[in-house]
Amino acid sequence: MSTTKHARIGEEVWKSRVDKVNAELVTLTYGSIVQQLCKDLEGDYTEVNKQLDKMGYNIGLRLIEDFLAKTNMGRCNGFRDTAESIAKIGFKIFLNITPTVTNWSADNKSFSLVFEENPLADFVELPDDGRAQNELWYSNILCGVLRGALEMVQMQVEAHFASDVLRGNDSTEMRVELIRIIDDELPPGDE
Amino acid sequence: MSFYFAIIGTRDNPLYTYEFGTSKSGGDGVARFREDQRSMNQFILHSSLDMVEEVQWTNRDLYLKTVDRFNNLMVSGFVTGGNIKFLLLHDQKAEDPIRQFFTEVHEAYVKTLMNPFYEVDMRIVSVVFDQRVRAAARKYL
Amino acid sequence: MVILSVMILNKAGGLIYQRDFHEGLHKLSSNDFLVLAGTFHGVHAITSRISPVHGSGGLEVLESENFRMQCFQTLTGTKFLIFAEPHQPNIDVICRRVYELYADYVMKNPFYQIEMPIRCEAFDRHLMAYLKPKQ
Repeated sequence: MSTTKHARIGEEVWKSRVDKVNAELVTLTYGSIVQQLCKDLEGDYTEVNKQLDKMGYNIGLRLIEDFLAKTNMGRCNGFRDTAESIAKIGFKIFLNITPTVTNWSADNKSFSLVFEENPLADFVELPDDGRAQNELWYSNILCGVLRGALEMVQMQVEAHFASDVLRGNDSTEMRVELIRIIDDELPPGDE
Repeated sequence: MSFYFAIIGTRDNPLYTYEFGTSKSGGDGVARFREDQRSMNQFILHSSLDMVEEVQWTNRDLYLKTVDRFNNLMVSGFVTGGNIKFLLLHDQKAEDPIRQFFTEVHEAYVKTLMNPFYEVDMRIVSVVFDQRVRAAARKYL
Repeated sequence: MVILSVMILNKAGGLIYQRDFHEGLHKLSSNDFLVLAGTFHGVHAITSRISPVHGSGGLEVLESENFRMQCFQTLTGTKFLIFAEPHQPNIDVICRRVYELYADYVMKNPFYQIEMPIRCEAFDRHLMAYLKPKQ
């Protein structure tokens, strides 16, 4: 599928089939979740990242059905097509942003999503305890969402943030790597 | 003209202070309080809190205008919906510019409050907030 | 629109939802339904394997004198089986709509456990309202 077609589908679904909510409600809700996690886990940011990823994973498992039902998409034609769909349709319809797909590896198995805007992180300034800036990936839930959603369509991926403007980096970049395609194996005893 | 600005929390605890001078008519933005005066500023500002608490219930506006005087100094106040007080010590009358200054600081304060890691009554250490207050001071006072 | 019944199979072939939308249907025991679902899952897998065309999906439509069964498989492997009257038009539209309701009221229900039997009252209600609108 051509990339303009992705953009068109994303735009169309966003306009006609998505219920909108106040963006600040989302931002504040997500913010209080992260903040509460930091408190509950007593500032163990590595663990906070892990929990956010896990929460995202569980969202992804469910969200993929909504994505497929709304977009009426067929199977993607290769990982590059998948990347375009995530950026131009997935992020568009759920967050109304379109990250840029870039930095493809030579084997076409990993790419970067560069976020120019990130509604989850509006208003946020990381705690200046000297560690959050180096350890907390504030929007880590997004990595989990991608991992969960792609797993449901037979792609095992690894996703992590490589940089974040909240930490003072120049851009917010997520790295996504395809580990393997999960074969449609029949469960045991179901021959 | 010289100014001393402070934000006071709900438990009368200071959250933020900033001392500056006028940037209007060629001012360089540096406060020129007399040395013995400077140490008095905090005291004068905080002693006006009683006046603020009186006026805030009789005034419909968030901006309370000048609430207290001490010799040639005036204190103007502003109370947010969450009972956070903005106080500004100044030595000349300037009702409208101060209103605009307060309004802009209020906006910046709300943004700060939206940061999930900031809690009400916490000291404001955000660099972004500091910059916005400085910009507002330059712009209006 | 006359829809007789709807079944939903998880990706392992387990029956996670079954409901009739028409009176006077032949009743099966819940165990029979489970066996039926498992069997269909197997048949579906076989049909996709024996297809002479490479990359083909499995069985999609089953027609008989008295009913027509449409199987709609999502990319995640969930199957929707819709039993309708033989000449029911636009059944693929119905499939998509049922899938949307499933995405909304089953998958988005935080208390629904994925791959487990569906007991979501809101899903029942909306499915009923869509498939059997009050005349």
